[in-house]
Amino acid sequence: MSPTITVEQLSKTYKVPEREGGFGAAVKSFFKRKYKDVEAVKKVDFNIEQGEIVGFLGPNGAGKTTTLKMLSGLLHPTGGKATVLGYTPWELKQDYLRSMTLVMGQRNRLSWDIPAADSFLLGQAIYRIPDNEYKATYKELNELLELEPLMKKPVRNLSLGERMKCEIAAGLLHRPKVLFLDEPTIGLDISGQVKIREFLREYNKRTGATILLTSHYMADVTALCERIIIIHHGQLKYDGGINNLSRRIAPFKLIGVTLGEVNGKDLSQYGEPVQNEEDAEKSFIQVKAEDVTKVTSRMLSDLPIHDITITDPPIEDVIERAFNE
Amino acid sequence: MLNIFKRLWLVNWAEQWQYRANLVMYILYWLVSPIIYLAVWTSIATANGDVKGLTANDFVTYYMILLICDQLTSNIIIHIFAYKVQDGSLSGELIKPIHPMLTNTLVNDIAFKTLNMIVLTPIWIVLALLFKPDFASVSIGGILLSIPALLLGYMINFLLSGAITSLAFWTTRVYSIHEFYYAMILLFAGQFVPLTLMPDVIQSIARILPFQLFMYTPIQIIQGNLAMNEILQAYLTGVIWLVVVFILFRFIWRNGVKQYSAVGA
Repeated sequence: MSPTITVEQLSKTYKVPEREGGFGAAVKSFFKRKYKDVEAVKKVDFNIEQGEIVGFLGPNGAGKTTTLKMLSGLLHPTGGKATVLGYTPWELKQDYLRSMTLVMGQRNRLSWDIPAADSFLLGQAIYRIPDNEYKATYKELNELLELEPLMKKPVRNLSLGERMKCEIAAGLLHRPKVLFLDEPTIGLDISGQVKIREFLREYNKRTGATILLTSHYMADVTALCERIIIIHHGQLKYDGGINNLSRRIAPFKLIGVTLGEVNGKDLSQYGEPVQNEEDAEKSFIQVKAEDVTKVTSRMLSDLPIHDITITDPPIEDVIERAFNE
Repeated sequence: MLNIFKRLWLVNWAEQWQYRANLVMYILYWLVSPIIYLAVWTSIATANGDVKGLTANDFVTYYMILLICDQLTSNIIIHIFAYKVQDGSLSGELIKPIHPMLTNTLVNDIAFKTLNMIVLTPIWIVLALLFKPDFASVSIGGILLSIPALLLGYMINFLLSGAITSLAFWTTRVYSIHEFYYAMILLFAGQFVPLTLMPDVIQSIARILPFQLFMYTPIQIIQGNLAMNEILQAYLTGVIWLVVVFILFRFIWRNGVKQYSAVGA
């Protein structure tokens, strides 16, 4: 049997209008527009077999979403080939659309102003799901995601996490054979993330569906995927088992400290200082995972520390570090 | 398929209710122009006795019927669709196995229209009390015969608007293009002035264009001004146009979707 997803030399180049600021440039661009070619995806190859859960990783702008859009049929590639379940996705054949799902962002399948229950029933009609099948699927989704209390409220009144749960469920009512998930756990708290992960694993086990997902959270990927595909600057950088990958990327931890009077002190003797815009209060250093205990105890005895955190570095940084050389 | 339309209706109908305040403002805005024409032409006819044979009552009944016909055959596709192309929210609809324009947008428009008719009814009655039209020439037969013309008018207008709105796949200036289309309707559908008052050249052009079916032709049928063979001829013209605009719509739509997916949905 041929693989569920085949991707061959797939490429996408966007033409992006380019213009300098200012009135003169605006007038000039009205008559003659300059375009810059942006190669979002460059000759990517991979195959995915039925039933696999594959994590699709890369820094922002690496071409993940572009690839997912091509595979779901929303984008025409500029070069190369792809098939999913034997269909060429961008022909947007109805039979193809009925057997896959793309979950992307928060406002895809649910109508903002009405309760999710109504959008679900609309989905049932659109995908022509027989009543008994719909009820069975809904029951399963409800067991895993606890949807019932959310169904009667207008979607605009749901929290981010609740909306994401409903969005994912709405995308799965027709029991797709292939799932493209773009950041399925974004904006969720830890327990929400765990629930979605458990759900996806369970869905994959029960239905044998093939899942390709992107995520910012390393935990998503390590929990779900045995196989990882990494792209960076539009190019395939890694395709293989997750265990090989962690061996290849030396595992690092981030230590963040809030210091008393000596804030801004040079910490480079303990580890490599790193910038973190999200938390300007703290100073961060990166150290090898095996050294964490040693370094923290040294820091605690040397420095007037008010607060200390130890976290995984963001997935982007890890990849940047491993593949940018 | 029927089930899809039923569900789409329930969703869109519920959504329209969320925006009923907007809707009342829209309908008041929309009413201004035909009421002005009604008032202007009626006073001219009253002052002169008649305008080229049309009496004040002819104008009053013409515009009172026009209010209904315009409401029935017009659409708001440009407002409910063009922005989806521009902000990318169309993507979610494109990967569903139904046609975004011919299902969701269509039902949305009909839901809007239905609610509009409910708002329009009391306004229409007040206007009728104010202007006291004499509907002596209107018959049940005329009203029944106008239905195919109104249906054709709605479908042609929908597909033409849909084709123009689909230009949003290429240009953000689609709103100006649609304004031009709207001006054509004002002129050739007989809203500015009943077409009989137009120069012969305009009248002959209007006769081969589809716009008459949006207002002028159904009004004439309701008022009992057309003979049976003229009515049948109007239907035939409508059917031919329907085929033409359907082909046009499909062509623009298909290429538009390709364009959309080429530049980045």
